[in-house]
Formats: sequence, structure tokens, C-alpha cells
Amino acid sequence: MKRLAAAAALLGLAATVTACSGGSPTKSGSGGGGGLFTTIDVNRPGLDASAPANPYNPKGNSFPAFNSMKLGWVKNHLTDPNQALPGIAASWEVAPDNSAITLKLQPNAKWSDGQPVTAEDVKMSIGIAYTQGSTAFSVTPGAAGVASDVTVVDDKTLKITQEMANPSPKFVRGVLDTTVLPSHVWKDVLPANFWDTLKAARGDDAAAEKARADITALGQKVLTFAPPKDVSAGPFVLERVNPGEALLVKNKNFYNAANVAPAQVKFLNYTGNEQIWNYLTAGKLDQSGFIAAPTDVMNRIKQAPGNEVIKGYSPVAVSMAFNQSKKPYDNVHVRRGLAYLINRDEVTKVASPEGGTPAVTTSGIHQKAAQAWIPDTLPKLDPYKPDPAKAEAEFKQAGLTKKDGKWALADGTPWKVSMHAPSGFSDWLSAQENIKSQLVKNGIDAEVVTTTDYPLYLEELAAGKYDVGFWLMALGPAPYDIFQRLYGASNGWTNVAGKVTHAAPGKNGNWMGGPEEIEVDGAKINPGELTGKLNTATAEQAKPIMAQLATAANQDLPVIQLWDYVNNQFVNNTRFTGWPHDDEILRLGTGVLPAGVWIQLGMVKAKQ
Amino acid sequence: MSATVIPETSGGGLSTASAMRRNFWRGVWRVMRRKPSRLAGAVILVGFVFMAVFGPMFYPDNLPGDADAITRPPSWEHWFGTDPQGRDVLALVITGSRYVLLSAAVTALITVVFGTGLGLFSGFKRGRWDTVLMRVTDMKLTIPGLPLLLVLATVWKFGSPLQMGLVLGLLGWGGVARAVRAQTLSLRERGFIEAARGLGLSTGHIIGKELLPSMAPYIAMNMLIAVTGAVYAQVGLFFLGVLPYESNNWGVMLNLAVFQAGAMITPYALGYLLAPLLAILLLTLGIVLVVDAMDEIFNPRLREE
Repeated sequence: MKRLAAAAALLGLAATVTACSGGSPTKSGSGGGGGLFTTIDVNRPGLDASAPANPYNPKGNSFPAFNSMKLGWVKNHLTDPNQALPGIAASWEVAPDNSAITLKLQPNAKWSDGQPVTAEDVKMSIGIAYTQGSTAFSVTPGAAGVASDVTVVDDKTLKITQEMANPSPKFVRGVLDTTVLPSHVWKDVLPANFWDTLKAARGDDAAAEKARADITALGQKVLTFAPPKDVSAGPFVLERVNPGEALLVKNKNFYNAANVAPAQVKFLNYTGNEQIWNYLTAGKLDQSGFIAAPTDVMNRIKQAPGNEVIKGYSPVAVSMAFNQSKKPYDNVHVRRGLAYLINRDEVTKVASPEGGTPAVTTSGIHQKAAQAWIPDTLPKLDPYKPDPAKAEAEFKQAGLTKKDGKWALADGTPWKVSMHAPSGFSDWLSAQENIKSQLVKNGIDAEVVTTTDYPLYLEELAAGKYDVGFWLMALGPAPYDIFQRLYGASNGWTNVAGKVTHAAPGKNGNWMGGPEEIEVDGAKINPGELTGKLNTATAEQAKPIMAQLATAANQDLPVIQLWDYVNNQFVNNTRFTGWPHDDEILRLGTGVLPAGVWIQLGMVKAKQ
Repeated sequence: MSATVIPETSGGGLSTASAMRRNFWRGVWRVMRRKPSRLAGAVILVGFVFMAVFGPMFYPDNLPGDADAITRPPSWEHWFGTDPQGRDVLALVITGSRYVLLSAAVTALITVVFGTGLGLFSGFKRGRWDTVLMRVTDMKLTIPGLPLLLVLATVWKFGSPLQMGLVLGLLGWGGVARAVRAQTLSLRERGFIEAARGLGLSTGHIIGKELLPSMAPYIAMNMLIAVTGAVYAQVGLFFLGVLPYESNNWGVMLNLAVFQAGAMITPYALGYLLAPLLAILLLTLGIVLVVDAMDEIFNPRLREE
């Protein structure tokens, strides 16, 4: 699983990857359908033949954009989180103050059993989304950007209003990124009084508390619900699953069926990256999302007939994060010294040569997005080029002592940089191993320690058990999402109902333990409060704040940004063509398999 | 009677013992010469012990890597190529041998000491002790080792080879105990034990001087076989990634070769995969050959020939 786990984590946290393509040799044209499209669901290793076709079930045989549809497919835009391609919603209008969105559904949308897709289906799907606590449909008190009302205007129109007490610029994204389910199949999952319960849940008394608990409890029922058969509004419908593969066939009732090229889609089973490498080197897959691969393997994949690797933007970066409650990491000069010692080019070359670009500096933002958000500030930041002399000066300023060529803490006790990573994340381990070598070479003792899996890693990290760990950051496109990774809950600041509060190190998940106020260019700022402002700021308002926060991150170094991820999409041109090369649609929302979107929009054509 | 006989016996025993020792070594040499492969086995084992004891001294604590030469195929400079950090694979195997072999040795020692002690005691005493100890052994044998180790690995980090060896040893003594008990039960009814008892010799003497030597070859072989078992078990655990990451551990190397370097896809990483595999294979071969030699050395019938 190795790097796959890392990839999956990225997906879970931000956006995503994958999709399809493929097919056996057929004569079918772009419109007629025909041909088998072979792919994998890169987000979920291991097919479960007995799992239901339920998009909320963690093992469910529901493949987003293939046999499961969302209202829209949010794009991978550098700066605008609300851009999307049409899904079940053919178009939408957003009120100028972002207070409401009016959705117009696809006029010809039908479920695979012939029933029309209606506004009632969407309303029920929103109810289901509430039980899962999605971003726009959440019952958590004080959550930003949640819907206050869902109104069915007519059979194909809905209006969803935002709770303006605590609005978010991402409201539209939250709404569009909602899975649509058939109400005639799912009708019994939500009780008849659900919407009343929801209304009751918005209060702040004991009854509201109980209503919220009831809604959350429904979430479990949703996860386990098993429709008797797959009823899909997407371009495909699930035919059968066995442990080796899942077969989907074209949904004749899909509104754009005439432009769907493949007649069938096959998802191959895999348990680890090396299996996907095998599929790819054999030219079996028409498309696969990002998986990490060493350079030699990547070269072999590229050599397979018809294979092409499309590189795109991925709004994620990885960093080396410090627990500032632990000595000597509480001292900014130690962090800066380490930043001057670590050669990020070398780290990236060893750990993620194909899936990453060395970070140009620590700004908190992916270098591509930084160009768009803070083009004037970026060149002014310290790039922390490897410079052992500067590192030595910083360490000395921090009071560290060097004895027999080895650095020790100010009081003479030995210093060992203990870096942690989950054992499955081989690119992180590789990076830490390389950093260890670099540090040892410069007189700093270091070690790499693994944790069994990612959830345990995050748990222990949050519990403050590690000195240094790797941390995903720069999770765009929304400015708040980007900086809350550095100056959010993990560093003490929580944002409830638009009010930012700071918890002491070691409390409320504050494991980074940075100071509440830091000095930037001689002035004191509160980075958590600034980050909180981004949650309601417009793009233009956000820019100066982001510049300030990038400067703060650069000088304060709560983390050292190591590399910015690259989104590699693997496609094969032997059976299908028409693959997009546009960054914005190479990656489409969390868990979405982009090839399904490309296919349903008619971009992918069967090769003549 | 024994008061007069025993001093005489022990007095003459000294010269007999030294003569026997000479004969023994002569016998060993003869056995070794008969099949040169056995000599090769002994050389391999000595080589591994040398590698584990002195090998790491030839390398710096932190092996130098070259970021421009990651996962390279075998060459004159790097006999087994380089790993994904650009380090020499052979150096990794050599520096990693200490942990693997030390923990295997500890495992073997614990398995044999514990298993033999318990088996002898149980078989010789019989009765209630036997019943209790053997039920304990049965229970121990029903515990599946690998799943237990997987669970243990989540709470215990096995950072030191002694810890690893201790756990593997404590998991592995059941089989030896059962077999030794069976042997003891059979031997204790033999004439020479009856005679020893008749002479009024102490239990310690009977067990130490009469029973144990008869079982020595069996125990020694078990010990060597336990070494291979321990190597497989810990390499397997490291391969599965449940034990702490140590880049020169053979199991970690196998894991990284397959899952990180793509040894199944690209021939460049083959050296990285083969080096630890070859080391394990060679160690097993050495042990098998030495066990073969031991079989003959300790078999009195063959010794007399």
C-alpha cells in the first residue's frame, strides 16, 4: 500500500485523483458507445464484492462520476473554490451576497430504472448529507457556510440559502459537492419527521442537542443501507462485482448517454501500489489516478504502448512539522537552522521524484497557488537555500552547543531529531531517511520512527507524542483551508461561529504548540485570528492577509515546507482518446474519479 | 557401595574425558571431511557470526548515500546495487546482520533452554507436574504466533534484538518441550537409567549426565533450526511493516525492494531484493549442512565407525 496510503490521505484531506479509460478494441464512435474502459478506484484499495452500491459506505461499490452523481463536480481551480462542472445540476445561480444558490437540474436526468431525477431526490440527498456532516449541510453549532433552508421551487429547481450569521465563501462548493441519491430507493432511510428534527437541531437548548444526536445516529443507518440493486443517475450502472473486478455497464437513461463512449467500465481490484504498477506497465489501464512510483517504474510505465502521464496541479504540500512544546523546537532559531540544513531538492529527488516539486520556500501555500495569491510577496521570502554556515549561526543563536562535531542542547544534553511517519507512507519514510542522513552529516543525531498506520499516527501526533512529524499542508483552493493547516486547530486556534479562540499547547488538539502571537517584521501578529478572517474574506480581501500569513510562516517556521505535490494522471491512448490536459479538471473534488466526469461530459472518445 | 565406586570412577574419568574429547574432535574432523559440503556449512556459519560481530565495525553508523545513484543495478562498485537512498546494498545487509542474528541467537537459546528444561522436568517427574506443565505447553501451542506478534508489535516496539529474541523465544519453546518430554519418557525406562537409579545416583546426575547427553544432538539441532525459524519470523514481521523501521533490517529491505523500489517491475531493484534473500538463503543452507554434520557427530553408532 505504501505510497498509496499517502495518496489516499491526500485525497481524504483535500481533493483528488483518478479515473478511467480503456476498453477492448471496438469500432464504436464517440457517440455510439462500445468498448470496455478499464480503470481502478485509486482512492480505495480492495474491492468488496458484498458491499452495497452506497456512496457513503466506506467499501461501497459506488464509483463517483461513474455510477454515483453529485450536483456538480468542483474544479481544481488555483484560487476559486466555487468553480464546478455541471453534474445533476445543469446550471446554478448564486445570489450576489453568496446568501443563496438556485439549482436547475438536468431536464432529462433519469435514474437507471427509468424514473426521473427530481428536486425531491436532491432534497432527500441533502437530508442524507446532513447525517454525514458534510461542509454545507452540517448540524455542528457554529459551523461556517452551512445551509439554513432547502426549498423545492419546482420539479427541477431548488433554492438553498446560507446561514448568514456565519457565512463562508465556500458555501457554493459545499452545496455542489453533494451526492444525489434516488428518493424512491432511499425513502425509508430518513424518518418522516427528519426536517422537523433538523429544524430543532439548530437551537442551543437540550432539545437541540438531542435532535443533533438523533441526526448523527441516522448517519450509521445511512452507512449500512444496502439498496437491493444499483439505481444510478450517472453514465454507468453497477452490473456485478467479484473480488477481482467490478463491472459497470452504460446507463441508457443517462441524460448525456449519446456522448458516453465506453459501453462498459471495469474497475480492477488491487491491494497495493505495486499491483497498479503492474497493470500500468502492461498497458491494461485506460486511466488511473495519481499513485506514487519510483523513477525506474515510472519510466517503464511510460514505455508501455499508448501510455501517457499527464501532470497537473495538486493543491497539497508536505512539510516537516515541529511540536514546539518540546525542546529545542520551541526556539525559532533551531527551526530556521534545520531549514538551512535540509536540502529540499535532494529530499524530493529521493522521496518523490515524480509526484512532487521541491518547495521553493516555506510560505504555507503550494508554489503554483502562491504565484496566483501572493506574487509580490513570494520573491521576498527567505528561500532557505541549504547553507550550513547560516544553520550554524542560527543554532548558536539558539544557544545550542557543538561538542566533538555534534550538536547538543544548551544544557549539554544530547539532541536527537526524532522524526515520525506512518509505516505505509514510503515516500515520507524515504524523505525522513534522507533528512536523517543530511542531519547526521552536519552533526545532528537523527532517527526515523514509524507508526503502524495513518489514523494512529494522526492520533499520536495530536496527542503531542512526537517531536517532529510530517504534515500535509497548503490544502487549497480556499485561503482559509490553506492556512488553517498551520494556524488552525492543530496549532491551538479553533473557529466556532466565526469566533476564534486559542487553546494552550497540549489542549484541544493543539500539538504544534506555537505561541499565540508571533513577531513578523518587527510587529506582533496573531496568525490564528488572521487565518480565521480568511474564512469570511472575499478573494481580494484575502490576498493581503495571505501575504502577511505567508511571511509569518516563512519567518516563524511552524513547519518546513518540503515539496509540493504533483497530480500525475496515467492514461492510455490505445483504446480511448480525448484526455483533458487542463489542470482545473484533472482533479475534481474529494473522492471523485475524474475520468467518470470526462466520460459523462463526452470528452473521452473511443479510438476509431 | 557408591561411596567407594564413585571416587574411583571420577578419578579415572578425567583421563577418559580428555581422551573422549580428543576422539570427539577427531570424529568431527572425520565427519566434516567425508562431505566437504558440511565444511562449507561450517564456514558459512562462521562467516555469518564474523559478519554480525565485526561487519558493522567496517562501516560508519550512518551509511553514506548518493541521491544521484538511487536504486542502481549491481556494479563493480556496488555488488548488489544501491537502495532507494543511494546506499550500498551489501553494506546494508552486513550492518543489518547484527540485529537479525543476535535476536535469532537469543531466540534459539531461550527456545532450547526453556523447552529442554521444561520437557526434561516434565518427562522425568511425570505425575501432577507433568500434567500441569504439559497442559500449559498445549495452551501455548494453540496460541497462533504471528497474529500474537502483530498485536504485540502495536504496543511493544522491539527496538532491541534482545527484546525481539526474547519474545520469539518465549513463543517458540512449546514444540521443543513436547519433543524433549517424549524423548525423556522413552529414555527413562531404558536400562542405563534404571541402573543409574539402582546405583542411587542423584536426579541431577541422571538428568545432567545420563539423559541430556543422549538428547544433546537433538537439542543442538533444534537450536540451529530455531535460528532459521527466528530469522524467518522477524524478517517476516519487518517485511509486513509492523516493526520499527530500520533501513538496514533485512525484512525492511525486502519490503522496500518490493513496495518502494518496484523490484517486481524493474530489474534495477533486483539486487536490493536479492541481497537480503541470499543472506537468508545462505544462512539456512549453512545451518542445514551443519545440522547434517551434527547428526553424524552425535550419533554414537556412526561415531564408532
